[in-house]
Amino acid sequence: MTDYKKTIGIEVHVELKTKEKLFSPMINNYGSLANSNANIIDLGLPGVLPTLNREAIDLAIRACHVLHCKINHHMHFDRKNYFYPDNPKNFQITQERTPIGRDGYVEINDNGIKKKIEILEMHIEEDTAKSIHAKNNTLLDFNRAGVPLIEIVTKPCIKSSREAVLYLEALRELLLYAKVSDCKIEEGSMRCDANISISNSDKLGTKIEIKNIGSITNVGLAIEYDARRQEELLSKGEILKEETRRYDAKLDKTILMRVKETGNDYRYFPEPDIPFFTIDDEYINNIISEIPLNAYKRREKYLNAGINTINVDKIIANIDICDYMETLNDVNLKTASNLLLGDISAYLNKKNISIFETKLTPSKMKDLVEKLDGNIISNKNFKEIVVDIMESDLNIDEILEKNNIKNVVDNKEIESLINKVLENNLNVVSDYLNGNERSLKYLMGQVMKESHGSINPAKANEMLVKLLEVKR
Amino acid sequence: MSKYLDLSIKEIHELLVKHQIKPIDLVEEVIDRYNNNELNAFITMDIDGARSRAKELEEIEVEEDNLLFGIPIAIKDNINVNGLKCTCASHILENYESVYDASVVSLIKEKNMIIVGKTNMDEFAMGSTSETSYFGPPINPYNKNKVPGGSSGGSAVCIAGGIVPFSLGSDTGGSIRQPASFTGIVGMKPTYGRVSRFGLIAFASSLDQIGPMSRNVYENAILLNAISGKDEKDLTSFKTNEDFTRMIGEDIRGMRIAVPKYFVSDIVSPEVVEIFNKNIELLKQSGCIVDYVDIKFIEKAVVLYQIIAMGEASSNLARFDGVRYGLSESGKTIDEMYKKTRTEGFGREVKRRIMVGSLLLSGENAKTYYNKAMAIRDDLKKSFEEIFKSYDLVLGPTSSRVAYDLNSNNDNPLSGFMDDILVMHANMGGFPAMSLPMGKINELPIGLQIMGPMYSEATIYKLGSYLESILGGSND
Repeated sequence: MTDYKKTIGIEVHVELKTKEKLFSPMINNYGSLANSNANIIDLGLPGVLPTLNREAIDLAIRACHVLHCKINHHMHFDRKNYFYPDNPKNFQITQERTPIGRDGYVEINDNGIKKKIEILEMHIEEDTAKSIHAKNNTLLDFNRAGVPLIEIVTKPCIKSSREAVLYLEALRELLLYAKVSDCKIEEGSMRCDANISISNSDKLGTKIEIKNIGSITNVGLAIEYDARRQEELLSKGEILKEETRRYDAKLDKTILMRVKETGNDYRYFPEPDIPFFTIDDEYINNIISEIPLNAYKRREKYLNAGINTINVDKIIANIDICDYMETLNDVNLKTASNLLLGDISAYLNKKNISIFETKLTPSKMKDLVEKLDGNIISNKNFKEIVVDIMESDLNIDEILEKNNIKNVVDNKEIESLINKVLENNLNVVSDYLNGNERSLKYLMGQVMKESHGSINPAKANEMLVKLLEVKR
Repeated sequence: MSKYLDLSIKEIHELLVKHQIKPIDLVEEVIDRYNNNELNAFITMDIDGARSRAKELEEIEVEEDNLLFGIPIAIKDNINVNGLKCTCASHILENYESVYDASVVSLIKEKNMIIVGKTNMDEFAMGSTSETSYFGPPINPYNKNKVPGGSSGGSAVCIAGGIVPFSLGSDTGGSIRQPASFTGIVGMKPTYGRVSRFGLIAFASSLDQIGPMSRNVYENAILLNAISGKDEKDLTSFKTNEDFTRMIGEDIRGMRIAVPKYFVSDIVSPEVVEIFNKNIELLKQSGCIVDYVDIKFIEKAVVLYQIIAMGEASSNLARFDGVRYGLSESGKTIDEMYKKTRTEGFGREVKRRIMVGSLLLSGENAKTYYNKAMAIRDDLKKSFEEIFKSYDLVLGPTSSRVAYDLNSNNDNPLSGFMDDILVMHANMGGFPAMSLPMGKINELPIGLQIMGPMYSEATIYKLGSYLESILGGSND
């Protein structure tokens, strides 16, 4: 009888990857010992004042740019007043009246259909401490207190869970590749809240907020679940109240946290300890010029280099490998990508390190790729020396020597070796010339045996056929 | 008993340089004087710390170009001194010990001054009599039944009572100048941002300013030299690189002075106006040009102050919640814990201001009151700036009456604000303003206020020092 339509808005908090916190010179780092990265400012001790980390503003400008937001040139911060133990000053410094960005969009591609997901605003604010609930107590870790965040709020223009997921994937990729944040949902550096209402008329339904959903996939599942739940209630004639819920992935259910009281009163007012500040176009353009190549452009470049779609997707999904690709100049990217996605990735995963922590310098990589492309070494050789390549300061030639890999690369030498084999196997040669293809394999085996494996097989095969054809 | 502390700073310095006295002699004299009076000027006295610092200073050569070397100073108890209690005269911080130095305290220590203790004040600097102190009010040395003014009452009393030659106060709406007026000393509220507020426990952040309190104008300027400057930890601070004593002694002839008619209207007691006008006559005779002027919005200052200061205070004092430091009362829920801690920890006046401030910022009220107050504040500032285009300085009495009886204000929460009716403009505009003694009424001192445009402290000291000299004050 009724066809309910979903209206969805998404709020995302993203931790900016700054060296220091937003309002104090304390290190911004995930995973340190609890409360080891908290100073008197982060703890909100009496008498402290905030300073302003310019790097956070710069990263927020980057984010504005990649999300196509208009950038506010004249800004200030506001205090949002509320009592909570994880909020050390009992006010949070945020941007209520002058968000750094407004009116942006993220383009999504839903099976070839492009749609712009509109962004209402983006503002900078400080993170709270982390509450850890242990039995009857709550423990507080202030390492997170004062970490810079941007909050990105869409307009209620998302129509389906699929659009929501595509938006978040696109948003994550944009921010990740602009080096704004590492966007790790599992570490809390990207946090997603979804607002969803359903309606079968032109009037919007009651808004339900689902907070802090643990993965992008789960955002889709949570929206689907809650839309079904709301529809069931509405079809029973019930009236919905504004609620805050959370999504339990194990149960695939949203669970009520609290019913929203009438209008939260945060008593906002301009933060008096941080003067209004202005950023001009020149400053903004400088920041924008430093943004690394985005994923879209990198994807194009790799496809043009002849890398297949599956491998391109694999590279883009691994920003470390992708960044490494970007360090390579005048190198056959296709060969390089095969190495990087194959044995090198296997090595990195096993060691659990980044490629930038290895001894594989870009120039070493270039040498390696050229040697492989030039048939100077074989893939088999590469597998034998991959660990040395990653761990040793030696160059490729030195590594080959150390591993006693001496390939015959001189054409005349290879030719005489093959001719010797042909002379010793005249019967087989005539078999081949009479059309027995299998004879070729035998002869090839003899060549490799004679050379003790020091000839590149592809090269040997090519020359063998050539010399046989001469005898025709 | 020695009387070195009654000498001028220059004379004391001379004795130190010539090794005729040591810093410890000054410290012992402070301790003697502290023990021999009952002014209740201090909340914490750091006798051991002061003695050991004085002993340490014996190990280094007296710095000949540093008049403040080895000189004792007292610090208002809302400014953090590492290792000493910092109570803000409140039960909620009664046992709170600072874990860092305010930037201004670091500068004091770099100058090798000796911090002897933390002074009594109105709780969280909210008041103008120092009676809201959890530790009881300090006493006016001129009459023990009279208030010393506030909120920097202890910082004023310890100088007026001869215990120390210097102290630091803080001024949000007259809290340095009004007690200076009531106790006959010199108190300067510098330009907003002149002295770093890092380490000052905030009352109203956009109005608060730390300033020097002293026995005379010259010594006040010396202390301001030591504590001013840009601080990376305070984004509102600035640097000008100047010597504030440099204009002292210059000819004041031709200085243009404005006296707002409001400052000599019937809001001020006739005796005070009379003394003030005598001073104005002296200045005219000395060649100053004096005009009585109207200044737009001047009468709005008290209302603006109430809205802005209380709004900001309600936010600034939110951090005292029992979670991380200070008094903590247990409760079954977190909300109950907050409620019990804050009910128990804050005094009546502080609670009143937090509640009014919260209401003023709440929902639509923020637009109706706070935002409008900020806009009018801007207009008030501009109307003063207009005056400063034609005049070097603005003069008036510091307070509308002399010190009054203790406990006389208790039933009327508004009357205290009226004490500051002549001094709040400087905080609204960020202007520097100083109070210095201009005479006495019934043996009680009364101050004259000199206010100037932003960054004009040196000009204020120039005129102040001149007035002091013709009135017979000390000026070395």
